[in-house]
Amino acid sequence: MSSIIDDETQVTAPSEKMSRNDWILQIFLITIGLIIALPIIIAIFTSLKSVTDINANPYNILPREWTLDNYRTAWNATPFGRYLLNSAIQSGIIVICQVLFSILAAFAFSFLKFPGRDLMFYVILGSLMVPFQLTFIPNFILVSELPKNCIELFGESAEFCNSVGANSYFGLTVPFLASAFGVFLLRQFFMALPKELYDSAQIDGASNFRFLWQIVVPLSGGAISALGIFAFLGAWSQYLWPLIITNDQSMRTVQIGIRFFLFDQERGADWGSLMAGAVIVMLPTLIIFLVAQRQLVKGIAMTGLKG
Amino acid sequence: MQNSSPPKGKGMQKVMAALEGYLYLLPTLIILGVFVFYPIISSFNMSLTRVAPFGNQTRYVGLENYQRLFTEIMEGGDYWNSLKVSFLFTLGTVPTGIALAVGLAIALSYPLKRLSWFHRLLIFIPIVISSAVTGVLFRFLYNPAVGYLNHWLTFVGIEEGPNWLASKDWALIAVSIAVVWRQLGFNVIIALAGVQNIDGTYYEAAKVDGANMWHRIRHITLPLLTPTLFFLLIINVINSLQTFGEINILTDGGPGQATTNLVYAIFVDGFIGTPLRGFASAQAYLLALIIVVVSIIQFRGLGRRVNY
Repeated sequence: MSSIIDDETQVTAPSEKMSRNDWILQIFLITIGLIIALPIIIAIFTSLKSVTDINANPYNILPREWTLDNYRTAWNATPFGRYLLNSAIQSGIIVICQVLFSILAAFAFSFLKFPGRDLMFYVILGSLMVPFQLTFIPNFILVSELPKNCIELFGESAEFCNSVGANSYFGLTVPFLASAFGVFLLRQFFMALPKELYDSAQIDGASNFRFLWQIVVPLSGGAISALGIFAFLGAWSQYLWPLIITNDQSMRTVQIGIRFFLFDQERGADWGSLMAGAVIVMLPTLIIFLVAQRQLVKGIAMTGLKG
Repeated sequence: MQNSSPPKGKGMQKVMAALEGYLYLLPTLIILGVFVFYPIISSFNMSLTRVAPFGNQTRYVGLENYQRLFTEIMEGGDYWNSLKVSFLFTLGTVPTGIALAVGLAIALSYPLKRLSWFHRLLIFIPIVISSAVTGVLFRFLYNPAVGYLNHWLTFVGIEEGPNWLASKDWALIAVSIAVVWRQLGFNVIIALAGVQNIDGTYYEAAKVDGANMWHRIRHITLPLLTPTLFFLLIINVINSLQTFGEINILTDGGPGQATTNLVYAIFVDGFIGTPLRGFASAQAYLLALIIVVVSIIQFRGLGRRVNY
């Protein structure tokens, strides 16, 4: 294997000792890497400093004494627990539905034959071209007016009408329950499965639905979990939609919660608890990154999309 | 399809097969139909209306909202400003982000024996950081009293760093730095995949011919990377046109309107104060048009992956 920066010593001496170029590159990459990760590193260490420490030595990156006080302050000052719960439910609903609906659609596109199939595939792919900026105002009006329309349709006694509009999990998630990206990703994977599987299942008399759940899904664990990870990262990080569709504090997601916490805290300039809040918000995605880095990177490199 | 008297059982089977196919597509088609395709029409209809100043009567006003946008462009009004901000922001972030990504990808592609997982970890990490958290982290870094950035600038002899977020001249640059940072991990991953796709024998041959590292980058890596660069260009232009979260948290579109880009103007007109949903929809339609034109160029470009 050769590469751009290869030099003679590298090619002729594949020993365990690092060459001079290796050393230069090591130092260069570590330095750049630390600079890139620095905003996150600073946030984590600042969140573990005491308030007096932050004010007395603002530019010491490491804390003098380590404390979790900022987390306590942040947790008590604003309902982070509630925000986390909301985000978990919102992301959970989006992940489950996107994965489920994408499996169903991708299966139809890769195994079944019916008129209009290819047209439908292009229609679904075409939705990727429609930017969110075009759809969010009509969707906001549609979802906000849903409870009113629901009551007109089902009458005052229909209790579920109160949980479909703005400030509801339904409203937070409903525009994102299907994913053209997910359909595309899984279709690519399903198409690569051997067609003989389908033929022999047909001969055995298995229904399409059984074939999907008992053969296709178990064989596609990698692709499905990759889609799940992308769907989660996308849902957890959402900003514009949760910002406009919730105005009740108890329905905010973590991303919106940290925004309002920022504008509360800054008057007191309590950066310690603010950074603690930021760490709370990014912790789930950081953990996923550490655990599934390889899969994530491979998925992005293969599809060129972030979900 | 021909309907020329198939046996009854077989025709029935065909219908059932079609029904079954569409049943699998139904959830996806319903969601995309209601929340992606229908708004293409309803949003255009809305862009032709205005809510009367008194009462909540929505009136049809034809192309009035579009005329107003056109006038604002001609007279250098608000819409002209947000077009300018979006343009400058794209111009500032996209080439910088791609150049950084390609440089890092080339450095990362070198097969180091140790720690290469660690380099990747640090360099890729921004991909999982949300725009809201990016905004919060950089608001701290830019803070005039305790922020790190101006403190670091003193090391290179700049005693009085800019007031990043409060200055009309620096706010857009401040937002740009934050967004380039958040996008970097994604861009490096794509660029690295492109660099690693290049056949190693090209480098061997160049080495035999005595080409040094810079020659190899200039005459092998970059030309063979054009499809990847093109892809990165399109994705980054679209992303930069859609930037919202960092602006909302770092500057709220200000100071004045120095960081109010096209998306932010839609948000302000549609949701802040007295909502002008018709006017905001007209802006959304024009922005979508710009984005779709860029994406069409992308789809055409993907078809022919030519190297120069």
